[in-house]
Amino acid sequence: MWQKLKDGIDHRIGLNELIDSKLREYRVPGDTNIFYTVGIVTVVAYMIQAVTGYFLLMYYIPHPDHAFQSIQDIMTVIPYGWFIRMIHIVAANLMVALVFIHLVSIFFMGNYKKPREMTWLAGGVLLLITLAFCLSGYLLPWSQRSYWATTIVTNIPTAFPVIGDFAVTILRGGDSVSGVTLTRFFSLHVGFLPPLFLSIMGLHIFLVWRIGLSVPPSSPSAKEQKPWTGYAKVNYSKSYPFYPDFVLKESSMILLFLTVTFLIMSFLPTLFLPETATTPADPLRTPPDIKPEWYFLAPYQMLKVIPNKFLGICIQLIAIVVFMLWPWIDSGDERNISKRPVLLTLFLLLAVLWIVLTFWGRYS
Amino acid sequence: MERRSFLGLIGSALGLTAFGTMAYPLIRYLAPPKPKLQKGRQSFSKTDIGDAKEIVYQQTPTIIINRPGKGYIALARVCTHLGCLIEYDRDKKRLVCPCHAGMFDLEGRVISGPPPEPLLTFPLRVEGEEITIG
Repeated sequence: MWQKLKDGIDHRIGLNELIDSKLREYRVPGDTNIFYTVGIVTVVAYMIQAVTGYFLLMYYIPHPDHAFQSIQDIMTVIPYGWFIRMIHIVAANLMVALVFIHLVSIFFMGNYKKPREMTWLAGGVLLLITLAFCLSGYLLPWSQRSYWATTIVTNIPTAFPVIGDFAVTILRGGDSVSGVTLTRFFSLHVGFLPPLFLSIMGLHIFLVWRIGLSVPPSSPSAKEQKPWTGYAKVNYSKSYPFYPDFVLKESSMILLFLTVTFLIMSFLPTLFLPETATTPADPLRTPPDIKPEWYFLAPYQMLKVIPNKFLGICIQLIAIVVFMLWPWIDSGDERNISKRPVLLTLFLLLAVLWIVLTFWGRYS
Repeated sequence: MERRSFLGLIGSALGLTAFGTMAYPLIRYLAPPKPKLQKGRQSFSKTDIGDAKEIVYQQTPTIIINRPGKGYIALARVCTHLGCLIEYDRDKKRLVCPCHAGMFDLEGRVISGPPPEPLLTFPLRVEGEEITIG
């Protein structure tokens, strides 16, 4: 009966044909490594955020008089509310880490080069949107950390002459962080950013699909000079089907991601929830040890170190622009970073600088 | 059993367990605990009630009616059909649901219409000039 039902459905929608033509015949180069699966794990992390976020919306009240209490109720009164919120918090942090790992691995393997420039650009935009998600979601619990971290971040545009103050007013909906800022960030977090993220992610996945997965630069296949989509064709011998082979690899990585999420929730529940995150916002008292999340620590420390605020922000903006346009700046053919000592040194220096600034920012 | 079928069975069982483990908290999450009701009684004076008074008792819209010749009664105003709030028709001495024309007498019994059960009655005590519900 089950088989009859499956056949009946398949006869009408042609699922098997779709799987065969789009998934089984679609090939993945045989020498791909585990870093090729990070992208799909990030997509899963985003889906988890969307589902848990939707459930949190059922009890969260975006009003300064009720936001903190509604979060406390979710954590202590609503059955399994703590579970849903903890997944949302931990998966959000892991999602940022995954996007970083994805970008670094793509950079390291030179996979941003022609014809994948637009894929890189879309990925860079997705990173910025992810950070915007974090920033806007940060304020919603209306805790001391939320309030003061948002005060600091929304104050950054004041470094720009002429338009600075106006930009701050636009961000906050007033002179200071208030209930207007909360509803503004809330609408951004649940209304504006998700469709934007989904559409850019759709473009990113479409480009990956159309061009096909690249082969690692160190593998012998990289020298074969196939046409753009050549490695994804069924007649490419050193490859295996996307489904089920590659999907199985991806599933293993998704399970690993879930394991790490639940390990952190079980054994390090306060890792992303310091004391200031569990104290209600007090606009009249700045806590002594207010720090941004780990992924903002490096830019935060950089702004502290560079004496001129305008200069510090300009350096960071230029860095973002260079990062986004990197495939067009580095347009040479050589993808193997081990054969490019200058780029390798620059990459390692930047990575070390990032780590040092992060730790410095955390413990300064 | 073939190896492939056995693995498929194990895989399905594990998948179902994982799904259940995730679905259970989500379903429980959708049903928040009921707010703690104030235990105890509410008291009113006879003058305060008059011939009928609508109150809220234990979060339930309730009406206390002074039935001619029979004394006071406290009835939930929630219609037993689909939950609309009934109104007291003082002229005809009956309770009417505005949604589907269900009618109840002053004892809370169904006179006509679709309600399947009588109205809920709350215990009520009259002591001198004071009426206590609960």
